[in-house]
Amino acid sequence: MAAISLRKLNKHYGSLFHAVKDVDLEIADKEFVALVGPSGCGKSTTLRMIAGLEDITSGDIRIGDRIVNDLPPRDRDIAMVFQNYALYQHMSVYDNLAFGLRNKKTSEAEIKAAIDRAAGMLGLHELLARKPKQLSGGQQQRVALGRCIVRNPEVFLFDEPLSNLDAKLRAQMRIEIKRLHAAIPTTSVFVTHDQVEAMTLGDRVVIMRDGRVQQVGTPLQVYGKPANKFVAGFIGAPAMNFVTATVRSDGGATTVEAAGLKLSVGDAEARALGAYNGKSVIMGARPEHLALGEGASGLGFDARVEVVEQLGSEILLETRVGSHGITVARVPAETVIARGDQVRISAQPGRLHFFDPDTELPITG
Amino acid sequence: MFGEQQRFMLFLIAPAALLMLLFQVLPIMIGANASFRNWALYNPKKTWVGLEHYYAVLSDPAFLYVVLPNTFLFMILSVAGALVAGLALALLLNRPFRGQKLVQTILLVPLMVAPVVAAIMIRWIFNDQFGIVNVVLEAIGLEGQPWLVQRWSAFGIILLTDIWLWTPWFTLLLLAGLQSLPKEPFEAAAIDGTTTWRVFRYLTLPMLRSVIVVCVVIRAIDAFRTFDIVWTLTGGGPGRSTELFSLYAYVHAFLNLDLGRGSAAAIIGGLIILVIGVALYRLVDRIAKA
Repeated sequence: MAAISLRKLNKHYGSLFHAVKDVDLEIADKEFVALVGPSGCGKSTTLRMIAGLEDITSGDIRIGDRIVNDLPPRDRDIAMVFQNYALYQHMSVYDNLAFGLRNKKTSEAEIKAAIDRAAGMLGLHELLARKPKQLSGGQQQRVALGRCIVRNPEVFLFDEPLSNLDAKLRAQMRIEIKRLHAAIPTTSVFVTHDQVEAMTLGDRVVIMRDGRVQQVGTPLQVYGKPANKFVAGFIGAPAMNFVTATVRSDGGATTVEAAGLKLSVGDAEARALGAYNGKSVIMGARPEHLALGEGASGLGFDARVEVVEQLGSEILLETRVGSHGITVARVPAETVIARGDQVRISAQPGRLHFFDPDTELPITG
Repeated sequence: MFGEQQRFMLFLIAPAALLMLLFQVLPIMIGANASFRNWALYNPKKTWVGLEHYYAVLSDPAFLYVVLPNTFLFMILSVAGALVAGLALALLLNRPFRGQKLVQTILLVPLMVAPVVAAIMIRWIFNDQFGIVNVVLEAIGLEGQPWLVQRWSAFGIILLTDIWLWTPWFTLLLLAGLQSLPKEPFEAAAIDGTTTWRVFRYLTLPMLRSVIVVCVVIRAIDAFRTFDIVWTLTGGGPGRSTELFSLYAYVHAFLNLDLGRGSAAAIIGGLIILVIGVALYRLVDRIAKA
């Protein structure tokens, strides 16, 4: 049993840099939580504080029923996977896996059994005699995973473990980690700057920015109900389109208008936007919620195609609407379309997001 | 005959090549030539005697049973001592503490002292009549020792002086080596619950191995030809009991003015260093590839 609980966690470097600000987070036993955010957002520092590799400036970290603030890493019963694998280069794979157990003076027979089990799970058997130098990046990272598994710790910590791998391997390892977590359910914290990794791996996703937690939620929650404009723009690829628009409400119908754009909104949204009549809001629309053609009435607009990105499975269409910005839409791959074409694009009803331009918080009814 | 680029390269190399030729190659040739002749300043006929000097050196009991063992013992103990002390200090300095920069600077002082100056200092410290060591010993009721007049205490003092002089050099290079090691394996080891000793034994030492070996090779070759501190501290005495190979050659060539014999000794020493050097470099190569 090892839930992790962070209370009012802070980290200062000197007096100038406040890396982690008042982070509160409850991670349930056996839960897989992904910490995601742009570089410098404090996610790695938070993880390293849980590991005990960084001192905490203030606040509490609890693992299981112990406050571990001042415990050295070795007493926290954790295992960690590093971005650059951090294998012991001069030892064979077997010795790498055995090192942590030998520290605990485990018998060689038990060590062998544990390594056999882990090697079976990760397909490491034929690599056991090799040195890390003779392995590919993906194999090295599997060894690093194995080193964690054999220790059978209460908590797994992952510090951007996939970012040194190429895209194909990354996708493969992602699945492997997911399978591993299903096979040995262990409380896990996974730090990444890649929102796809965070979304696919995390039972819950924690989005951080400038040392603060922006939102904690399931992948569907952070995607569907982002807590602010930052989260809305960070989660989802390609990123959400934002347009500054003015709310016009006369009698029954409410519309949002920008140059070249006039969309009428549904009842629920109209109620939410009631207080903003005549004022500007930030409107957000995800590329996957924009489609070619007229669509529902009042939700279409004209655009000029600027870039066509054919991905095979779909096309990303970068268009210019009126005088302002680029809007990206995802359209079927077979669509015949070229740069310079004038197209009609429509938004899916009920899929528009609105944010207050000052607070950047969502405007909801 | 050469292209413009080649000519330019030759032009750049020329000064260094000329210096090497004049001050290294030529003296070695002259010395080698001298080693085959009866070449004494009082007898300038330079009669060719073939390998007679080599035979004389290699059958000289002083050379075989005092000078050579002394030289090797000195080389091994001095390098080992400075390596251990240097590594210990480097490990100490590798973790931040208050006043670390100050300590680091102070530790480097021996490196800035000329060996001869250090040797004179040490000689006075261990002087049997007015040296501070004996004064202190007598003040606490112990008997003063004639440090530099007994073979093994004199040898020990020479060793300590050399170790003192060279420890900072090891410290500096090993510290640079330590600071260039990746942090993550050590963090992984900390999480794995590794004791300090096991971290040192299984991580630090193996990761630092190539730096250590290079330091040892350079320093071993250098230690083999140590001259200044021995000459200043004991002059090879008492008797000839602390004489090293370089003193042996020096005494024959420049005190006895027997340039032939001195040169032969120097050439023998040179050959020994060559063999040791090649062997050590092979070792480095093997370790670097491991």
